Amino acid sequence: MKFRSERDALAEALATAGRAVASRGSSAVLSGLLLHCEGNTLTVTGTDLDLAIRVQFEVIGITDGTAVIPAKLAADIVRSLEPGALTIDAVEERVDIAAARSHFGIHAYPAAEFPNVATAATPTFHIGAKALTEGLKQVVRASSSDDARPLLTGVLLTNHDGGLRMVATDSYRLALRDLGVASGGLADSDILVPARSLNELARLTNGSGDEDVVGIAHSANEIAFTVGNVTISTRLLDGTYPDYRQLIPESYPNQLVVGKETLMNAVRRVRLLVRDNTTPVRLSMRSGGVDLTVKSTDGDASETVDGDYTGDEFTIAFNPTYLIDGIDAVLSDEVVIESTDASRPATVRSAEHTDFRYLLMPVRVS
Amino acid sequence: MAEAPPLTPTILHVDMDAFFAAVEVLDHPELAGKPVLVGGTGNRGVVAACTYEARAFGVRSAMAMVKARQLCPDAIVLPGNFARYHEVSTQVHAVFAEVTDQIEAIGLDEAFLDVAPAVRRMGDPLEIAQYLRARIATTTGLRASVGIGTTKMVAKLASRQAKPRATATGVEDGQGVVVVPAGTERAFVAPLPVRALWGIGPSTAAKLAGVGITTVAELADIGEAVLIGLLGGGAGRHLSAMANGRDPDPVSGGRPVQSISQESTFPVDLHDAGELAAVLTEHAERVAAQLRSKGMVARTIAIKVRFGDFTTVSRRATQARGLNTGQAIAKVATDLLASVPLRGGVRLLGVGASGLSESADEQLTMFMDDGAVQAIEEEWTPVTTAIDAVRDRFGPTAVGLGRDLDASGLLDRTGRRPDRWGPTAPNPTP
Repeated sequence: MKFRSERDALAEALATAGRAVASRGSSAVLSGLLLHCEGNTLTVTGTDLDLAIRVQFEVIGITDGTAVIPAKLAADIVRSLEPGALTIDAVEERVDIAAARSHFGIHAYPAAEFPNVATAATPTFHIGAKALTEGLKQVVRASSSDDARPLLTGVLLTNHDGGLRMVATDSYRLALRDLGVASGGLADSDILVPARSLNELARLTNGSGDEDVVGIAHSANEIAFTVGNVTISTRLLDGTYPDYRQLIPESYPNQLVVGKETLMNAVRRVRLLVRDNTTPVRLSMRSGGVDLTVKSTDGDASETVDGDYTGDEFTIAFNPTYLIDGIDAVLSDEVVIESTDASRPATVRSAEHTDFRYLLMPVRVS
Repeated sequence: MAEAPPLTPTILHVDMDAFFAAVEVLDHPELAGKPVLVGGTGNRGVVAACTYEARAFGVRSAMAMVKARQLCPDAIVLPGNFARYHEVSTQVHAVFAEVTDQIEAIGLDEAFLDVAPAVRRMGDPLEIAQYLRARIATTTGLRASVGIGTTKMVAKLASRQAKPRATATGVEDGQGVVVVPAGTERAFVAPLPVRALWGIGPSTAAKLAGVGITTVAELADIGEAVLIGLLGGGAGRHLSAMANGRDPDPVSGGRPVQSISQESTFPVDLHDAGELAAVLTEHAERVAAQLRSKGMVARTIAIKVRFGDFTTVSRRATQARGLNTGQAIAKVATDLLASVPLRGGVRLLGVGASGLSESADEQLTMFMDDGAVQAIEEEWTPVTTAIDAVRDRFGPTAVGLGRDLDASGLLDRTGRRPDRWGPTAPNPTP
């Protein structure tokens, strides 16, 4: 295999595909990136067996072929070269990287040992990249990092009124976002996508323009997202997601409407006294607004926030970090907090958009 | 906001010289002038501390014991006596407390002190540093090096320059105290390699080297914007500030404990699931005892499994309510272990607790599925409270569970394991 490429194009491809490479892999070849040159197209693939990232771009192909190069070393070398053209020449298990005045000859891995990463199927539906990025940022944060609950480390994608619904929960809070699709649609089945791959997707689509779209193809056990010349594919999680619909109350007796920034800043301030991530913030709902208090081993803090409140006067406590995550995910100037009582889930949502909801379980204070 | 007035350097970094090894030499005067290593004495141990005589052979702390023995075959290797180091450390901290209440302890052998409140009473920071060294020497017989700067990072780098140095011909005394006057921080850090700065590990250093930056001066010159582009916002801003000798992080006394963990490396890889569960249970008990002694509970329990081929797997589980009984933590840990596919022997096993808090507030959940663990916690809390009360009065081995009994009596399950730096060799050197 031999080709010529611009340093920047190759450096970017190696960095992007390299994000799928396992940091401590179970086999050496998985710490490598598969380069495949065919004609004038180079495909760079990295995988940790669960997640694969593939980047395709134009090079000047000289000889077709395949090589597996050490991901980190190759990325470091290419990035450090002088800007301009470079040549990669792989013969068996040696790869030569040559630029204007620099030359590296490094060991490669046997290409035959690299796992077979299926070529992604043709996307069955498309979705606006900007809206998807927004939705991912709102939802993925609520997923669990708890290995004892593997299903909750995923994000549920499901068909909802012809659009795409994304749901994530760690059992303490739940985020839900509905998105319209540009074309096609998810087959009428629930699929569970590992949050890690969606974080990679959000990284990739971050900064997308209004015109950009993400193509999505899925089978019973895999899903692939295509953004421009990059495809992220991942194994789906297997299992039945908890029935989230029954958790969402039909209506709430209590409703608070406050300015998003005002509330956010107030919670952040009182949270300064929380150093253990478990001390709750208490919200005392009253006509005309809400009072926030935190009591911790360092002292106490309180803050008054003006707003519109209808309902009974009562106090409810939340993990401040979970509350901030919810407020932050609301994309409008005013945030609505709806509640029933101090032990049932409250909802954080936007006053204007109905496509996002953040359900939050209280902390029972002793 | 107006420019802040120039600061007087009042931050001291006090670092005991070769602390654990120096305590051993103090207790065993016949070791004076010899290369002494403290750490895991077995093949898989690491060096926790070494005398300057051993450093002359190229031995460093955190080095694999096997490598250290190769470099210095005549070294005297000791397993370490943590209780004794703790005792001496307490004496050292008592000296700190005579000077200021703004103390940020980093482990047993080093601390940052902000001596601003003491200047009027005790003289300028240099005089205070000399007082501290003299007091430490008279109360413990040990030596300390002190760095003085306007920031913690500069103080720490300065204390390193104050240290004794190991050379091929012997040990050279250091300056003992190095002061970096206000306004000269940038010049002080400029010639150092980037790795000297906090937060620059091997991977960041490699990234920087990739764009031709190897010294702090080069890092300072490149500008914040470029660093943010290279390393991201948080790291970029942080390093840019560090490279210019700025570090707004104050000396914070009494930083809360973030996590408690316990792990051990085995002399030979373990294959038996029963043996692994027994080790996990012992670790869980020790972690639980430490939580209780701090009056805390932990919501997140994690395990760490390292296989013979050095691949390492971590698993964690978060509970709705904090735990601090050995039984409940052991239940979570063994359930987590059961979820790890065991391929080959296990070299290291650990249990950790995080998400610590002092309150018993309960984070409510949408799906109640950790009822079993909570039931164990509730069942064992009164028993554990009773056991702790007896141990407080009569010692850690006065009462315990049947499984902690061996031929010599009850085993102490309350502190850290004695083999925290790796397994002990069958026949330690001395």
